[in-house]
This record gives sequence, structure tokens and C-alpha cells, in this order.
Amino acid sequence: MTDTQPMLAVIAEELARIVADKGETLPPLTPNSVFLGGELPIDSLDLATLLVVLEQRTGQDPFRAGLRQFTTVGELAALYDMAA
Amino acid sequence: MLDRPSWLHPAFRLIEGGEGAGWSEFRWSDLAAMPQNPGGVVRADRASRVLAALAAAERAGVGLLLSRRDGAPRDWTAPPGFSVTLETSGTTGEPKRVRHDFNRLRGRLRGGPDEGARWLLAYEAGAFAGIQVILTAAFTGAALVSAPGGGVADLAQAARRHAVTHVSGTPSFWRAFLMALGSDVPPLTSITLGGEAVDQPLLDRLAAQFPAARLRHIYASTEAGAVFAVADKRAGFPVDWIEQGVDGVALRLRDGVLELRSPRAMLEGSGAVGDGWLNTGDLVERRGDRMEFVGRLDGLVNVGGVKVSPEAVERRLLTAPGVADALVTAQANPITGFLLTALVVPVPNSDEAELRAAIRRVTADLVPAARPRVITLTDRIPLGATGKKGRKAAS
Repeated sequence: MTDTQPMLAVIAEELARIVADKGETLPPLTPNSVFLGGELPIDSLDLATLLVVLEQRTGQDPFRAGLRQFTTVGELAALYDMAA
Repeated sequence: MLDRPSWLHPAFRLIEGGEGAGWSEFRWSDLAAMPQNPGGVVRADRASRVLAALAAAERAGVGLLLSRRDGAPRDWTAPPGFSVTLETSGTTGEPKRVRHDFNRLRGRLRGGPDEGARWLLAYEAGAFAGIQVILTAAFTGAALVSAPGGGVADLAQAARRHAVTHVSGTPSFWRAFLMALGSDVPPLTSITLGGEAVDQPLLDRLAAQFPAARLRHIYASTEAGAVFAVADKRAGFPVDWIEQGVDGVALRLRDGVLELRSPRAMLEGSGAVGDGWLNTGDLVERRGDRMEFVGRLDGLVNVGGVKVSPEAVERRLLTAPGVADALVTAQANPITGFLLTALVVPVPNSDEAELRAAIRRVTADLVPAARPRVITLTDRIPLGATGKKGRKAAS
């Protein structure tokens, strides 16, 4: 099993910044946090922003070949760890 | 009770989310009893209000403006006779208003009674595509489920709770909706995509998740009306349609731009090129047996279903104090299709926090999709071989 902890921390940091820009606060993230399920104060533009920022920061684009399924923070972290 | 409009089937019902967590059901008798100020301006924030206003304006024979913003719109007086004026979601400044003959709006409706269908309203009630969904449900006697003001998570909950069967939305909506639904999905039998070019991976995912559903993507615009629907679960459209036309519409290519001649087009509008042909401004390319949409002639990019101009946003950034130069580009992403990002060259000795605040101020009145979401400071902007800024969309 891949260690997704470092990527989880990067996602939490960047998402907190995006949410803070809107004047809101990010609740604690877990691998099971669902991005657009209503528990996080983000919309699809915020999620798109996160993916663009993560690509800049990691140099990885796991979506180059098209849309990959992810719903939770942990699933997204795993996509970057596989791409690395 | 007031007479039921001819376009509203007796079996039609609206299931609408309230201010709190509750749901209200509206039949025609409930809509007819809503307080009305016939004609004039109505805030189109709820499907119930839109339906009641349409019926009242039709009965009174006066023009109706369905406003998508709070506050009284400037410079609008109701035109004589019943017509429906909608506001487009423009990139900058005041929204554009487009007046529609109601018979033409109704003329687009297809299909017989379908009382078992349960539609989800995934567009704003006052948007052109939202009106199409509302009128389709009303005309066919279906149920319409609406969660006004809700985000995609609320729509996903509403879809599950009311077991919706028919959903129409932009590709960006569908990507977010699939994420919000996870594995607990409603029993969809009809999936429609429109408003943006659709990509094959999204069609494949929808087909895999909803194998029994009818899956189609629509090509339409304000000027051209509904042009064609593609139902073979593949992106783009068949090359043969360029030669043979489709659904009463003739198609041709001029310098890579799609032109069309359609009985449903508004010929007095922009884009008319003579002989009844209309320039769509959409660039298409042949790939095998398909024609695929590859962008806009005018450089507009589609951010989550909203067409925005990177150049217009860039001009806006250049007005911010502390900005020496700026380059706005569209970055591809799998959620909203594109996203605007900016490279900004600060004037010497400027303060970064002040600069970012100034940029936020000059973009505050743009629609959210038009605001550059990632701003990177740099000391110079690379120029392409032509000496122009390289604005080509990054992918």
C-alpha cells in the first residue's frame, strides 16, 4: 500500500489556502473527506483550482489521459502518488 | 381558479426545496394562487416563481423579464405583447438581455406525455437552459425537482431523495455531480449534456455508471437555437453531417469554423454571414469519422459552462495599481474544463499582499468563473515567436 500521508498534507495545505481566500475555514481533513459531498465549504471552481495548484506544485498531472474517478481526499492523494 | 396554460400538463407537479430543509409540492392550482404582479420584472430564483410569472404574463399579454440578479434592473420597460426576456451570464459588466417569442421557446419542446419522468433542475431557473428544463417537465406532465440556491451536493441529495430519472446539465456539472453522488446514484434513464464541448472520458463514465440511460449531448447557442443532438455516446459529431445536414440544419466549414443554416436560428442576431448562414464561432477539426470541437474563434474559453475572455480579464488586471504586466491563460482541468490563471509582473518595490488585494478588487465584479484563480508573480512574461504573449490554452 502506498504511503499517501505526505500528499494528504499537501492537499490539506493548499485546500486550506483556497478556502481562506474565500474567508472561510477548512474543517479537519481525513482521507475519507468527500470533496463535493457538502461537508467541505468548496465548489467545483475551488476543486478545479486545487488540481491546477497541485499540478504546479508537484509537477504531476494524473489527469493527462482524461478524467480519473475520485470522490475523497484519500482517493485524490493516491492518484498523485501513483503518478509520481 | 385561473385557466391552466396550454403548455402546462394537468399531471405536472413541482417539488421545490424551501428555505430550510423542507420540500413543497406545487400543482397548477398552487402556482395559480401565488401572488402576481403580471408582466414586468420577476426575480427568477425559484422555478415556482418562474412558472407562475410565465402564466400570468401570458394571460395579461405583457412582456416579462426573468432577472437573474437581485435588485431592480436598469433601463427595462416591458415590450407590448407577451414575450420572455432572459439574461445571459456575461463575463463582464451588465448581463446581456435576449428577448424570446414564447411560441418559439415552446416550439423547441418535444415529446409526448411522460408522467413517470422526474426531472432535476440542474440549471438556474432563469437561464435559457433552465427554462427549457422547466417547460419540458411542465409540457410532458412530469415531476420537476428543484433545490433553489443549492450547490452540487444539495442537487445530489435531492436527486437521490426524489429518485430523479431525467437530468440535463453542462459537462462541468456532470463531473461534479458524479463526484458528489459517489456510488449512491439515482435511477437515471435520461442524461443530457449541453453548453460546453463534451469529452469522451466523461461520456464513457456516464455510460458505465448508467448503462440503461439514454445519453445525448446537445449543440445549441442563443443565436442558433438548438442545432442537433448526438446520441451515439461519442464526443463530437459524425463527419457525414457536414455533407448531409442533420435535423433540418445544413452545416459547412469555413476556415475551420462551423457555419450553419437552421430554421431555428435568429437571423437578425450577430454571426449572420448572408444567405441564411450563421457563423457559430466554434472551431472544429476532423478526427477520423468525427468532427470535434476544439475551441472558439474569438478566444473565449469555457469555464464550467461560462464563456469567458482571458483577454478581457487580462485588460482588467492591467488596471490594478502595482501591476506592470499580466498574462491570463486558460488551464485545462478535469472538473470545470478550463480555469483562468494569471502571471503578473509587479512594479518594482511593490508589496505582494497589497498587489494581491488590488487584483482582487479589480476582479470582484466579474462572475466567479472569470476571476483568475491562481495568480503567480514573475519578473517577466515570455513572448512567443511572433512577439505576442503566448496565450494558447495550456493543456
